Amino acid sequence: MARLRNVAVVGFAQAPIVARDEHRIATEMLYPEIRRALAACGVERDAIDYQVAGSADYLDGRPFGFVTALDVMGAWPPRQDLHLEMDAAFAAYYAWVRMQAGDCDTALVCGYGKTSEGEPRRVLNLQLDPYYHAAIGLEPVATAALQASAYMARTGVTDRDLAAVAARNRGAGARNPDAQLRAPATAEELLRTPWAVEPLREGYLPPVGESAVCLVLAAEGKAEAMCDQPAWIHGADQRIELQTLGARDLTRSAGATLAAEKALAMAGVGRAGDIDVVELCATTPAEELILCDALGLEAHASSLSPSGGPLCGHPIMMTGLIRLGEAFRQVSGRARARRALAHAAQGHCLQHNLFFVLGAERRWA
Amino acid sequence: MKRPVAVVGVGQTHHASRRSDVSIPGLVREAVDRALLDAGLEHADIDAVVMGKAPDQLEGVMQPEQFLAGAVGAHLKPLVRVHTAGSVGASTALTAVTHVASGLFERVLTVAWEKQSEGNAMWALSPNLPFTPPLVAGAGGFFAPFCRAYMARTGCPPHIGPVVAANARANAGRNEYAHLREPITVEDVMQSPVLWDPIRYLETCPSSDGACALVVASAEAARKGPRKPAWVKAGYSYAEAMWVPGRDQVNPQAGRRCAQAVYERAGIRDPWKEIQVVEMYVPFAWFEPMWLENLGFCDLGEGWKVVDRGEQKFGAHLPVNPSGGVLCTNPIGASGMLRLGEAALQVMGRAGARQVPGVRNALGHAYGGGAQYFAMWLVSDEP
Amino acid sequence: MSEPPREPVKYVETQVRLPYHYVAGDYRARYLRALKDRKILGARCSRTGKVIVPPFVTSPESFAPADEIVEVADHGVVTTFCVVNIPVRGRQIELPYVAASVALDGADISIYALIQECRPEEVRMGMRVEAVWKPDGERQGDHEDIRYFRPTGEPDAPIESFINRL
Repeated sequence: MARLRNVAVVGFAQAPIVARDEHRIATEMLYPEIRRALAACGVERDAIDYQVAGSADYLDGRPFGFVTALDVMGAWPPRQDLHLEMDAAFAAYYAWVRMQAGDCDTALVCGYGKTSEGEPRRVLNLQLDPYYHAAIGLEPVATAALQASAYMARTGVTDRDLAAVAARNRGAGARNPDAQLRAPATAEELLRTPWAVEPLREGYLPPVGESAVCLVLAAEGKAEAMCDQPAWIHGADQRIELQTLGARDLTRSAGATLAAEKALAMAGVGRAGDIDVVELCATTPAEELILCDALGLEAHASSLSPSGGPLCGHPIMMTGLIRLGEAFRQVSGRARARRALAHAAQGHCLQHNLFFVLGAERRWA
Repeated sequence: MKRPVAVVGVGQTHHASRRSDVSIPGLVREAVDRALLDAGLEHADIDAVVMGKAPDQLEGVMQPEQFLAGAVGAHLKPLVRVHTAGSVGASTALTAVTHVASGLFERVLTVAWEKQSEGNAMWALSPNLPFTPPLVAGAGGFFAPFCRAYMARTGCPPHIGPVVAANARANAGRNEYAHLREPITVEDVMQSPVLWDPIRYLETCPSSDGACALVVASAEAARKGPRKPAWVKAGYSYAEAMWVPGRDQVNPQAGRRCAQAVYERAGIRDPWKEIQVVEMYVPFAWFEPMWLENLGFCDLGEGWKVVDRGEQKFGAHLPVNPSGGVLCTNPIGASGMLRLGEAALQVMGRAGARQVPGVRNALGHAYGGGAQYFAMWLVSDEP
Repeated sequence: MSEPPREPVKYVETQVRLPYHYVAGDYRARYLRALKDRKILGARCSRTGKVIVPPFVTSPESFAPADEIVEVADHGVVTTFCVVNIPVRGRQIELPYVAASVALDGADISIYALIQECRPEEVRMGMRVEAVWKPDGERQGDHEDIRYFRPTGEPDAPIESFINRL
C-alpha cells in the first residue's frame, strides 16, 4: 500500500434533525452550521481553500436549487468549488481525493435540503429507471421491502429480528440530542406498528426529516491546529452496483463488501470487527443486517450506530455525511474511540456504498 | 496536481434536437463507446467513472447515474456525479482529472450528457422560485440584461452578435457532430425575431440531446495508448455567490480568477500569444466578446473589436469555437465537456475538418448559474 | 392478457406530478408581510453596513450575519433590462414585457421587476422608476402587492452611478 497523505475530519456541526423547520429555508439552516464548524476549528472562512456540497434538485423541488447555497458558504471572493448531486458523504470523499492530489489542504463539506417540502417516497420513485422500475410505481419503501423479503427468505431472519435491530437503534437515538426520534421503543412496541410495505413495519422506517450539516476536513500540517483530536482518515473507498433490481443479489451487498474490503485494506485493518465503533447508513433493519453480513459484524454489537442511525433521523441527502460526522465525534469526543468506521449509502437497495475508516492516530508516518 | 494527467480518448454523439433513435442509456453509450474506442481501452481498464449533467428535472429522472451505472461499466467501481449547472460538463472532466492526479486511479472514464428533448427544457430553465415574482423567462431572459450592459459599457455595435452567430455556424459546418450546421448570414441573424431584447433567435443556442465522454489517464497509462494524448496542464473550477453588492455579471470575478489560476499554473503569461485555440461557452452570441475579455485574451472593452476584425474566425489568429460551440450544439449537461473535449482534440491533432493547424495550447471553458460557476482547463501537446 | 405490441415500443410517456409545500423562512415572510404596509425591507450587513434586499440571514459578500432589518425606498433606477417576447409554460404575463434590474434607493442589491405604463422601446438604462402598489385593502402580503414599476418622469441617473453595480 503506497503512502497516502494524512487527512483528518477536524470539525462537524449539524442542525438537530426535525420533521420540518417552519422558520428557515435550507440555506438559512445551513449558515449557522458552517459558522459553528469553522468556530469549533478556530478558523475564519478564508482559511479554507476548497468547498464541496451534496444535495438533490428533486428533493429541493427546484432545478438548480443548490446554487443558492453559495450565498451562505462564504463564496466571496470566488472560491474553488464543486457540487455533487449525491449524499454529501460523497462530497467528503471527493474532498479527500482532492487532498490526495495535493490540490487543497482544507475543505468545507456541506449537506442541506428541506426534505419536508416534498414527499420523498414519491420523489425517490424517480431515482429508478424511467422505462420500467419507475413506471411500475416502485418507491424506496417498496424496493427496501423487496430486499428485506428476499433476505428473510434466504437467511430465516424474522420480523422479530428486524424489530430487535430497530429497537436497539431507537435506544441509541434516545441518547443523541441531534436525532429526530428521541424516545426509545421496545421491540414489542415496534412489532405492533402496522405494515408500511410488508415485511417492513412503519416502526422500522425513518420518519421524514430535515437538517443541515457542515464537516471540515484538513490535511496533516493544518489539522493539528484545528482540532485537539483529529479523526484521521485511514482508508476510504466507494462502489456503485448496477441498479436493476432483478440483476443483483439483493440479499448480499456486493458493493458494500468490496468497498469495505478496500477501505479496510487501505487502513491496514484485518476485520471490521476490530474497529471500536461502526456507524451504518442503514435505512431499514434488513439493510443493517445485510451490511453486518458484508462486514462480518455481529448484528447486535453495542458499538453499532451509537447515534441511532438513519432510523432516528434521515434527512436523505446528508444521512451518510452525518454517519461520518458521528464517527468523528466518537474518535474526537469524550468516547475517544481508537478507530471508527463510517458508512454512507444511496440509491435503492444499498446500490451505492461508501466507507471511511477513521483513527485517532495518523495512518502514514 | 500531484502528477501529470492526460486525455487519452474523446467521444461524442451526433447532437440533435431530438435523438428519438436512442434511449438515455443508448445516448450515453454512443459517447462512451467512442471514447473507449478512441483510447484503445475496454471497460475493464477503467478504474472509476465520473458522470455529470444539469438539473434532473430536464429528463424527469432523479440521479440518473444510478440507473445508468451498469450501462457505463461502473458496476463495482467508484462513481461520482457532478452537478454545477451549465458548467457541469467541464467541472465533471476536472473532477475526473483530480481522481487521476491523486494517484488513486490510473484511468478514469468521464461522461456528461443531456437528453432534454424528453422533458420541457424551457420550464426547467425558468424556475418559479417560491415567494419570488416569476419574471425570468429562460436562460436568455436572465442573461439578456447583461448583454445589454456590455454593449452600454463598451459601445459594442449591434452587428457584433450577428457576426459571432454567423461565424459559429460556419464553424459548425466543419463539425459532423454539431446540431445546427446550416450556414446563416449576418443579415439572416439581424432579421431573426428578438426573443429577449437584445438577444435574437439566431443568436441563441439550440436545445439539444447529446453526450460527450473522455478518458483521462496517468502519464504511464497514456504512454501505453495508441494516440498522442493531450496533457492537462491546469484546470480549476470556481464559484461565486449571487447576491453580492456590485457583483459584475458582465465580467465576473469567478471567471477572471479561474482563468488567472489556470494560466499561472500552466505557465501562460500572454494568452493571446501562447494559446492557439479556445473553446469557450457561448450560449448567446454576445458572450463571445464578453468572454474574450473575461479570459484575458484582450483588454476590457476590446472584445467586440477582436470580433469586428475577424481575429477569432477559423483561420485567423485565435479561432474561437471551431466546433461551432454552444451556439450550434447545446445539450446542457454535455456542453462544458464538449468544450474541454474539443480543446483536447485540437491539441491531439484529431479535430478533422475543424482542426486548427499547429495547436500547442488550447483552452476549454464553461460557465453556469447566474454567471457564477466557471470551470476550465488548459491542454497542451506536452506534459 | 393483451397481445404483445406489433411494433417495438419506442416511447414511454410519463407525467411527473410532485407536490411541494415550501417554507418562506422568517426573513422572507417578514419581507412579504411588510409589502402589505407598502414597505420594502432589507437587511443590513453587520460588517459592511450594506443593505441586502430582500432580507436574508447573511450577506453573501461578507459571510457576516445581516440581522438588522431596515426599510428601503419603493423607487429607484433601472440598471439594466430586457424585453421578453416569448412565453413560459404556466405563466399568465402578457407579451412583450420588460424585466428589469432595479436598484432601489437605499439598497445595495438590485431586485428584478416588471416595468409597465410605458412602451418597451421607451425603457432605458438609468430610467427612474417607482413601484405601483395594489390599492389599500387589496394587498395580501405577497409579491403581487407590487403590481409593477413605472417611470417617474425624472431625469435619468447618470450611467456612472449604476453601470458597475447592475
